[in-house]
Amino acid sequence: MVSPSSQSPEPQNRLRVPKRPSQPVAIQIYRPASEMRRPMQLFRRMGADLLASRELAWQLMKRDISAQYRESFLGVAWAVIPPIVASAGFAFAASAKVINVGTTDIPYPAYVLMSTALWQTFSEAVMLPMQKVGAARMMLAKIQFPREALILAAAGQVLFNFAIKLLLVAGMFLWFRLAVPPSIVLAPVALLHLVLLGTVLGMFLAPLSALYQDFQKGMQLLLGTWLFLTPVVYPPPSGEGLFGLLVRFNPVTPLLVTTRELITTGTISDPQGFWLVSAIVFTGLPVAWVVYRLAMPYAIERFSS
Amino acid sequence: MTLVAENTQAMTAPKDSDVVLSVQGASKKFCRDFKSALFYGMQDISSEVLGLRGDKNDKLRKKEFWALQSVSFELRRGEALGLVGKNGSGKSTLLRVIAGLIKPDVGSVMVKGRVAPLIALGAGFNPVLTGRENIYANMSILGLTKEEIDDRFDDVVAFAEIPDAIDSPVRSYSSGMQARLGFACAIHTDPDVLLIDEVLAVGDSRFRGKCFQKLHQLRESKTAFILVSHSSHTILTVCDSSVYLLKGISKGYGRTPEIINQYEKDLFTEDTNISNGFIELDPNRKSTSNGLDIESIFFRDHQGKIVNTPKTGKEITLCIKCKSERTFPKLGVTVVVKKLADGGETILSMNCMQDGKLLSINSGRYEFQTRIEKLGLLVGTYLMDIYIKDDGLYYLDSFETFRFTVESDIFSNESLYFQPRDWAVEPIE
Repeated sequence: MVSPSSQSPEPQNRLRVPKRPSQPVAIQIYRPASEMRRPMQLFRRMGADLLASRELAWQLMKRDISAQYRESFLGVAWAVIPPIVASAGFAFAASAKVINVGTTDIPYPAYVLMSTALWQTFSEAVMLPMQKVGAARMMLAKIQFPREALILAAAGQVLFNFAIKLLLVAGMFLWFRLAVPPSIVLAPVALLHLVLLGTVLGMFLAPLSALYQDFQKGMQLLLGTWLFLTPVVYPPPSGEGLFGLLVRFNPVTPLLVTTRELITTGTISDPQGFWLVSAIVFTGLPVAWVVYRLAMPYAIERFSS
Repeated sequence: MTLVAENTQAMTAPKDSDVVLSVQGASKKFCRDFKSALFYGMQDISSEVLGLRGDKNDKLRKKEFWALQSVSFELRRGEALGLVGKNGSGKSTLLRVIAGLIKPDVGSVMVKGRVAPLIALGAGFNPVLTGRENIYANMSILGLTKEEIDDRFDDVVAFAEIPDAIDSPVRSYSSGMQARLGFACAIHTDPDVLLIDEVLAVGDSRFRGKCFQKLHQLRESKTAFILVSHSSHTILTVCDSSVYLLKGISKGYGRTPEIINQYEKDLFTEDTNISNGFIELDPNRKSTSNGLDIESIFFRDHQGKIVNTPKTGKEITLCIKCKSERTFPKLGVTVVVKKLADGGETILSMNCMQDGKLLSINSGRYEFQTRIEKLGLLVGTYLMDIYIKDDGLYYLDSFETFRFTVESDIFSNESLYFQPRDWAVEPIE
């Protein structure tokens, strides 16, 4: 006979006493006054939150990317199907002389394919922050986490989707036997500026669109028109008319065109435009970040009550 | 002016190093009108970004009201604070301000360490992803690093009791499993202050018991709690001190039993005559009647005399006086009894339909009687919920938390209930 007490097994669901790390505890004070009145504290917190949100952003990005492609038969192919369809459509229309585009540096189908991929990356960069904030409403209303993580995750997802489209672009280069200029190594920099421009816009609009749906719907509509004011399916116009002017003052034009040129020809047609818009992007970025951060509690207050 | 500002700031800093949370005169205004709320939202965002917003925003705009007004309290390490109040009294708003999700309009909140909400059961779960992927995503939202999650992963899975389902999509989980997983994630984040909002109502009673056990452990390791509930049971069992909110105003802050008493008095006395073991309800307490209204609830002893305290092992009759406005041929009465300060588990449930007895009445006044030959409840204070339905489904009237005390002359140590019995000895031939 074995006495039952001598071999009492470890209980299956043993409750673990938490280990409490002896790190210094952070003290937070929430006050009504605008955080703009203590700018140094605000900037310190922004920096700290940006650092703290890296890992969360990575987890969120992984979650969203795998969820994005899991429930579909074609999966990752959805990243490349839209540019293929768009370029096939335009190439067909151009060859049938339905639309009349000027001459492009590289074969027209390749030109459209490449530009559409870039344009879609930009438009994703605009829309994703708004969509992420919209989808995270429940979470935002209940858990305090660095809000920067949503934006980082959105930007990461945009770059991931572009990386897949890049395979398509590479395939196209092989198909048309196009030479790759050495300037291609600079293309990621230009691409980053393009993505940042979209992110600045998206980040600025995200808290507002959490209040008013109109912002997201309006932006979607605007992007549809904006596409045709950007040299995506046609080469940059040289004309001075109203259309030419609109295209020239469109901030996406220099960034998108420069990225494309760095990948295809290696000669940049509008370096001043590129640097001007980049300067605007890098001044706009901290402004949009501050607005996003400060506006978030007010947006949460309205959609959680 | 500067001096004054500095002084108030010194006030907000606690002298006591054990204080983990200090709420000083926090107020928050809200607006129920949707269009104005959005407009005010835009206005607030602009003044925040332009730095126009000061520390005192105490003017109500049109259609606004105070959802929270001058609430102050402190919470020390290892303490549990109860927040009671009816729906819409500002409990959740207060939690949101404490969690730093929304900003106070007046006053301030000081928090030391990590605040984790247990309000977020499964917020952020993606139904397409597996339990494993969701644990990582959810716990990093709650502020843990990958290593910390790796470290706790097995505990979370064991606590949630889903080891076989961990690699299936969360969509395929039952609602109970999802709730358990959400609770397990939140409770394993080792926060300094845990905010618990009515979540202990999920899961079966066994899992609830486990949660209470875990909360008890956390408390021993010096985690502070704020527990929100509109039921007094849970608050009484867990919290030392409580805050009672009524329409956003803190009506009381002190030891739990006194605060609960005050809360219940307000809850009932406006419209009822309450004393332990007897209750008379105001006929106009409800805005709409479904044709049958409970007038009073009380007990009668074996002689038919009204008594306030039933006795263990003795005959007792539960009486429910009602006024009916029409004929009900198939009435069902349900009586549910819970013990006070015991985690809110049902210990007795009686239903006349299950007993094969349908009660039939015409219009007029009636007294429903449940005769219990020998009462099985032991000494203690109990809460009774009574529901009256027509044909088993159609809700007519109910009364919850009727409080009564059972007395006893019987020695019943080590028993959970009283078993009526007789002893005898007979010679065998």
